[in-house]
Amino acid sequence: MAPPVTASPADERLRRIEAVTDVVLAHLDIEDLLTELLGRVQELLGVDTAAVLLLDASGQYLVATAACGLEEEVRQGMRLPLGTGFAGQIAAEKEPVIVDDLDGADVRNPVLQAKGVRSLLGVPLVAGGAVTGVLHVGTLTPRRFTEDDIGLLQLVADRIALVAQVRHAQAERNAASVLQRSLLPVRLPEIPGVDLAARYVPGGQGAVGGDWYDVFTLPSGRLGVVIGDVVGHGLRAAVVMGRLRSALRAYALDSTDPAEVLTRLDRKVQHFERDAMATVLFGQFDPSLQNLYVSLAGHPPPVLAVPGQPATVLDLPADPPLGARSRAPRRSTLVPVPSGALVCLYTDGLVERRNRSLDHGLAHLARVVTAGPADAVCTTIMAELVGADPSVDDVAVLVLRRDDRGDLVDLEFPAIPDSLKRIRVAVTRWLSTTGCTPQECGDLVLAVNEACSNVIEHAYGPAGGVVFLRLHRSPPDIVVTVRDTGTWRPPRGTHRGRGKLLMNSCSDEINIDHGPDGTSVMIRRRLSGQEGPS
Amino acid sequence: MTMATVDIVSDDTERLVLAVSGEIDMANAAAMQQELLSAISNQPTSVSVDLSGLTFLDSAGLRILFTLADRLHVLQIEFELVVPVDSVPRRAIELAGFPSLMTLRTPTEPPRAVTVTEE
Repeated sequence: MAPPVTASPADERLRRIEAVTDVVLAHLDIEDLLTELLGRVQELLGVDTAAVLLLDASGQYLVATAACGLEEEVRQGMRLPLGTGFAGQIAAEKEPVIVDDLDGADVRNPVLQAKGVRSLLGVPLVAGGAVTGVLHVGTLTPRRFTEDDIGLLQLVADRIALVAQVRHAQAERNAASVLQRSLLPVRLPEIPGVDLAARYVPGGQGAVGGDWYDVFTLPSGRLGVVIGDVVGHGLRAAVVMGRLRSALRAYALDSTDPAEVLTRLDRKVQHFERDAMATVLFGQFDPSLQNLYVSLAGHPPPVLAVPGQPATVLDLPADPPLGARSRAPRRSTLVPVPSGALVCLYTDGLVERRNRSLDHGLAHLARVVTAGPADAVCTTIMAELVGADPSVDDVAVLVLRRDDRGDLVDLEFPAIPDSLKRIRVAVTRWLSTTGCTPQECGDLVLAVNEACSNVIEHAYGPAGGVVFLRLHRSPPDIVVTVRDTGTWRPPRGTHRGRGKLLMNSCSDEINIDHGPDGTSVMIRRRLSGQEGPS
Repeated sequence: MTMATVDIVSDDTERLVLAVSGEIDMANAAAMQQELLSAISNQPTSVSVDLSGLTFLDSAGLRILFTLADRLHVLQIEFELVVPVDSVPRRAIELAGFPSLMTLRTPTEPPRAVTVTEE
């Protein structure tokens, strides 16, 4: 151990620490940075141990975060209640504490005792007037710490407190950002008959808030659309947002009424997230996508653009935000969405600016929304409303257009039994745009279901595979092709062979082609009341 | 996920009435067969299965009905299916030639005392 640098003044010592802090440590994460700083303190003061304890999130416990010569403290995750023991006393009193000789002193830390530490000096870490932790050093031989030692250690402590605070804020912001991103859909679902696009931009200085959007299909064949805004910013808002997003999805599984889903979600917020407040729009499209049922919890209404007409901000009744402790019943409103129409959902960051009214923002939005391709409409909205006048708040936009021009749609599903339900929903939805009768729709769905069942049961080994669907409208026919890349085996078991019979009975033509690269089943059905190509 | 449920509508030891609702395909066929068969003891003289609440039935579901018809035939228990006209299950059942095996009636028709058709 190097002897104390008694000759040089404290200023000289500090300069050495500053140099190390600024240059070498700038890019270390907080734990490595603390360890490095403690090593320097150890050397400069000629002590045997040095340790940093930081106050945990509850503000009630000091947690050993970094140590030199006392690494056990950190490895054992030592926690000290505020106000007790050596470090606890420093934090509680916000004053330096010196223990000249540990023998007989009130030190209950078993690590200090086991190490044989004799003398201790500790100072509080203070940032913004509040204690955030404790820095202490110790020697294995008795030593009288001087005012000079205290001064130097306090300067190092102030530096650590500042760095720790900055790093903590940075880490929290990064965590919020990562969490937020992870909760937004990586890729919007591909749904036949629906053209989807979305945007999310953080608020001023890249601060994420609690905005989210979500699109999901439901077992009933309905399509759920969500946009919401948790009041507040940063990690806390992102965490609450994540919980609301999951809970809303769960409640949506059990109800076809958006108002009921939001009522349950509100009850969850009021019980489990007592300090949280959020605005949410939840809508459910019926499987045909022609009807959208919307419930608003304090959220601005959607904009609807019907082809050939100016877009309008829908005049829907709004109920209170989640967490507002209101007992008034929530309402759902039916919004008919004609073929080719576009629905735009957004958070208030899009339309609210300090220097203009909300009505101005809404009118501006209605002017720029058209019933065009969803992604292009999103781009226009962002350019027009955010482009030159960025929001301090974060902004989320979700745009959905009923795109019935899908004369040719390709879909892929894992070749597992659970896919059958999803396949039927997707095919039913697409067929609803072709003008076929309910009987024709039922027949085609049954035939496609049988063809897909065959793939799932016979085409692949235990490693599984994919069932490919191509839905093709070729007036007056509907042609569905079900394809796999496996090798069929003969059916097994009793009461078999009815699948083929059903397929034949439900279509005008079935063609099964067993090729070297897999099997392709073509199902053709002529629709009644439809003219063929002239 | 394909879901279906079996409910006992009435059970007066002579006549057992079951209702199946939801959807049946390959994903839940094995479980549904187990559930349907185990809902029936050897005590009743007739079993009626009401499919009014069933919105989809494919060949995997038909297999259950054929199996059930087989077993009930051996046990000499009358079997009746109640299926609405113009429903997807009705279509599949008729296409599969099921009506020749047992009694098929629409929900509005009153129950009739009929025996399983001998093949």
